Parts: sequence; C-alpha cells; structure tokens
Amino acid sequence: MAVRIRLKRIGAHKAPFYRVVVSDSRSPRDGRFIEEIGTYNPVAQPAQVSINEEKALKWLQSGAQASDTVRDLLSKAGVMKKFHELKQQK
Amino acid sequence: MERIEPDALTKTTHVNLLLDFYEELLTEKQRIILNFYYRDDFSLGEIAAEFGISRQAVYDNIKRAEQALAAYEQKLRLLARYEQTLRLTEQLKHKIDTLGLQAEQRSELQQLIEQLRTNDIMVGMEAIKDGSI
Repeated sequence: MAVRIRLKRIGAHKAPFYRVVVSDSRSPRDGRFIEEIGTYNPVAQPAQVSINEEKALKWLQSGAQASDTVRDLLSKAGVMKKFHELKQQK
Repeated sequence: MERIEPDALTKTTHVNLLLDFYEELLTEKQRIILNFYYRDDFSLGEIAAEFGISRQAVYDNIKRAEQALAAYEQKLRLLARYEQTLRLTEQLKHKIDTLGLQAEQRSELQQLIEQLRTNDIMVGMEAIKDGSI
C-alpha cells in the first residue's frame, strides 16, 4: 500500500487554506486521511507554514511519497534537508 | 511559522483561486480533473488510474482547463478585482483604526467595509451563474 503526503485544500471560498495530510494513495477524495502533519496558509501576509517535523520525518523515513507541492513546502521548512541528512547517516 | 513562497505552491494556490471563481464555466470533466489535481493534490498517475485514461491525457486535460481559466480571468478579471478590493478594504480598516473614533462608529464603518468587500465579489459571481456574462 502506497502512502502519500498531500496538500489538501480546505478553507472558505476564495480563501485557500491547506492541510498537509498523510493518506493511502487509493483512498478516495472523501476527506479521509491517516494523519494531519501540518498546515499552510497562503493568504496570510507573509504566508504561514506549520509542520510537525517529527511526524513528517517519521512518515518520510517509512517511505511515504510526498507530492511536488508538499516537497516544496517541506524543503522550505527545512524538513527535506533533515530527512536527507538522516538518510546519509545510515 | 516562517515566510515561504515556493513556485509549485504559488501556482496551486493561484489555480485554486481561479477555480473558486470560474469552476462553473468549465466542462464537467475539466472541473473534476482540476479538483483532483489542485484541491486534493493527486498526481497525474493517480488521476489516470482513477479514470482509466493515460497520464498524457490527464496532463492535456489539465493544461487545457488551465488555459480556459486563464482566458476567463483575462476577460472577466474577477480574481484581479477581488484581490484589489481585498487590498483596499484592508487599507481602509487600518486607516479607520488610526482615526481615534468611538467603538460604535468604528464598528459601523467596519461593517460597511465588510459589506463592500463581499458585495463586490458576489455581483460577479451572480452574473456568471445567471448567464449574463
């Protein structure tokens, strides 16, 4: 079973707000997900990101695939760098 | 919390906003595929599997739908107008705070501004829905 980390849009009409969620790649678009690991608010000036680094690393290390947008978000938040450093150590 | 503005994210947010305005002008299929891709962040491969079509077909569909959204925005300017209204009403609200008004007057003005903000955008959306644009 492939596990994905996605950016799921929630929030009101014309005010996008996102959850970073971990979900099964086969789960339909019904809002079910395994775990929420962060949020992203692009409307705030400046945009606000909050990532639970511990959970994000745990999922990445157990092989969860991050989508392009999530990878962007994690890179900027410094999580991808830590993930690669941990990989090097092994 | 830190400042962040990467490219894929900026694009996703921009398309999501365009979808909020023009979704109903797209074909049913374009609408469904863009929702998968931008609102739920599914990959091309996953969408292809979901619909039993090729990855390339999904990609072409998304590109065409994005072009349609861009064309609507170019003609109708609803998103640009909305963003301008947001900027101006924010400025107004800040300005009001510096005037030293009584709480009652201040909240009355703020309510009016809020009406202005939501009204501006509703007019455009209604026009699309009743087909006069």
